[in-house]
Amino acid sequence: MTIAVAMSGGVDSSVAAALLRDEGHQVFGVTLKLRECHEARGSRSCCGVDGIARARAIAGQLGIPHYVVDCVREFDEHVLRPAWDAYSNGRTPSPCLPCNEHIKFGVLLSWARQLGVSRLATGHYARLTIDARGRPSLLRGQDPDKDQSYFLAGLTELQLGAVLFPVGHLRKQEVRDLARTMGLSNADARDSQDACLVGPDQSFAEMLLERFGGESRSGLIVDDEGHVLGRHPGIHHFTVGQRKGLLVPSTGRLWVKAIRAEDGAIVVTGDEGDLYEDHLVATGVSWLGEAPCERGTDCDVQVRYRHVAEAAHIEASGDGTVSVVFRRPVRAITPGQAAVFYDGARVLGRGWIQACC
Amino acid sequence: MTVICLDHNATTPPDPAVRDEMAACLDGALGNPSSIHSLGQEARRVIDKARAQVARLIGAQPEEIVFTSGGTEANNLAIFGSVAATKRPRSHVVTTAIEHRAVLGPCRHIEQAGGSVTFLAVDREGLLDPASAISSLRDETVIASIMLANNDVGTVQPVAALSAKTRERGILLHSDAVQAVGKLPVEVNTLGVDLMSFSGHKLHGPQGVGALYIRTGTMLSPLVFGGRQERGLRPGTENVAAIAGFGKACELAAGRLAEDAAHLNALRFSFEAALLDRVRGATINGRGAPRLSNTSNVCFDGLDGEALTINLDMLGLAVSTGAACGTADHEPSHVLTAMGRTIVEARSSVRFSFGRGNTQEDVHRAVDLVARAAEMMRKGRR
Repeated sequence: MTIAVAMSGGVDSSVAAALLRDEGHQVFGVTLKLRECHEARGSRSCCGVDGIARARAIAGQLGIPHYVVDCVREFDEHVLRPAWDAYSNGRTPSPCLPCNEHIKFGVLLSWARQLGVSRLATGHYARLTIDARGRPSLLRGQDPDKDQSYFLAGLTELQLGAVLFPVGHLRKQEVRDLARTMGLSNADARDSQDACLVGPDQSFAEMLLERFGGESRSGLIVDDEGHVLGRHPGIHHFTVGQRKGLLVPSTGRLWVKAIRAEDGAIVVTGDEGDLYEDHLVATGVSWLGEAPCERGTDCDVQVRYRHVAEAAHIEASGDGTVSVVFRRPVRAITPGQAAVFYDGARVLGRGWIQACC
Repeated sequence: MTVICLDHNATTPPDPAVRDEMAACLDGALGNPSSIHSLGQEARRVIDKARAQVARLIGAQPEEIVFTSGGTEANNLAIFGSVAATKRPRSHVVTTAIEHRAVLGPCRHIEQAGGSVTFLAVDREGLLDPASAISSLRDETVIASIMLANNDVGTVQPVAALSAKTRERGILLHSDAVQAVGKLPVEVNTLGVDLMSFSGHKLHGPQGVGALYIRTGTMLSPLVFGGRQERGLRPGTENVAAIAGFGKACELAAGRLAEDAAHLNALRFSFEAALLDRVRGATINGRGAPRLSNTSNVCFDGLDGEALTINLDMLGLAVSTGAACGTADHEPSHVLTAMGRTIVEARSSVRFSFGRGNTQEDVHRAVDLVARAAEMMRKGRR
């Protein structure tokens, strides 16, 4: 097969490329250019110019061709701008999902198809199975600490049918060991997880503010009874469940309970128990395979990347909305994040968490 | 798989004689050309010889040649150096919309610094109208920078038609001749230029060396400061081996200009005839203008030029979608959009540029590969 491997310059995609090459496929590497050189300079981002250079070096080491696909405009349109809209509306975006859905397995996949490749491979920790009728299922990666199925949960069957995850059945340590055995120069490089979007001394939200300009929405910090405790410089600095950086003189600890989009207020609580909710509503839901029947179904629901999925009952309505009731309350359910539905290790679908109260 | 290279406007392989000339410099114990002792004198003689070889190719005097790191630096020195040296309070620069980035970049910088720049339009064939260039000249115009041959489509601009007017008005005439020198007979007095940039690696010399021709009497300020090398216009110890190789390449080019041009013309003729015959929806950009004999820029209707370039690379044919100017810059060619092509048409275009070492056999195989790749891409999309 002719296989294009999306290479970030990191160890996972490098090993993915090496494994496929060693299986005898005709492999070439491709790296996305997501930001202009002057923006990406200095960032340890996997998608900046440094990442491109690292990927090119690895491709050279593997003796495979390497190309760069310019997705600067599409990345801006499908990932960065919606992320800033989310922050501006008091939500906390999860940009890796739209990036996978629209960029890696969208723009890049159609680019690869033009080159007549059979498959697009990435270094994601996730697994694929194909049933007897040829329909693909997406499963969690073998390594529970590294599983990235959450970020891939919005892919369609059509997309999954065209991809490969060569390291999904491995643990991170095994991948590193393989890289060392193969003599790859980045075998011991530190993980770049989530680093795509973060500069050396800037948070993702600050980078977006600088890029899209406008005023940052400052406002009041209030407790849940409406008492004003202080002011904050902009709602994009906050996320639900956050404890640090509140800048409020207080005798006890405070957590962000909610971000009120209407007036830009940050609602805080001194009782961590207040952060727990037993339900959520998700919209814009997409399913992999059959949508659940009208009576609803029991499944596990994961509300952010670093969260152990919790058992729940979900009911879907026709308009792409799903209501979720958890067996046990879940801490810091955050609007803007994805809710991903699992049957064991298998991904059923994903939706976007809405403000629930 | 032997790769066929049809990307000679990006770079050309050094001639074996050039390599020998450079190796001799690197093997020998040459001194610093500015040293008093005999080892230094030997190095100085190498540079003097090269300067004469380079000057001879373009009909200049050796003292009118300043060696630089390449075409980009020569263009920067010409434009910034003349603006910095002028006594006029407000600087105006005239150039064209189809210049290489090594000219557009300095011009945009001058705009940002408060000067003004006129970017002249070209017609659909990629040709500048000399009358419009002349009418754009103002009292505060310091320099007109008009490329001699375009790197993307190969169109040759009527630079000489401007020289009488620029001279009469005391305006410097500069030409970026990086693609032209070594492919066309280029003679600075016939052209009437005051400044002209060219580069080693486009004429089978080494990369990293070029020259600016500076007509005697032209006032220019340096961009970097230090010692007195290159008459103070380009301080720093000279890259002796590269300069020697550049000189040799110029000498070789001078001796085979007509022969090379005839060879390249024949290759391109059969390439374009066969390509238009075999690949549906292919058209040649700039075909109606005088062109470099080695350049063929083809628009493939309905195909993405970058994808085609990569497909061809995997099949063993090296071509280009345009100027190779840094990591992954995939904007459509500004040259083609300035020629009135749509962005889609510009993105569908691929540049084939032939070189001395190409054969008719290369051309036949290349057309086969292009036809195969185009067919595969058209099938794949259905």
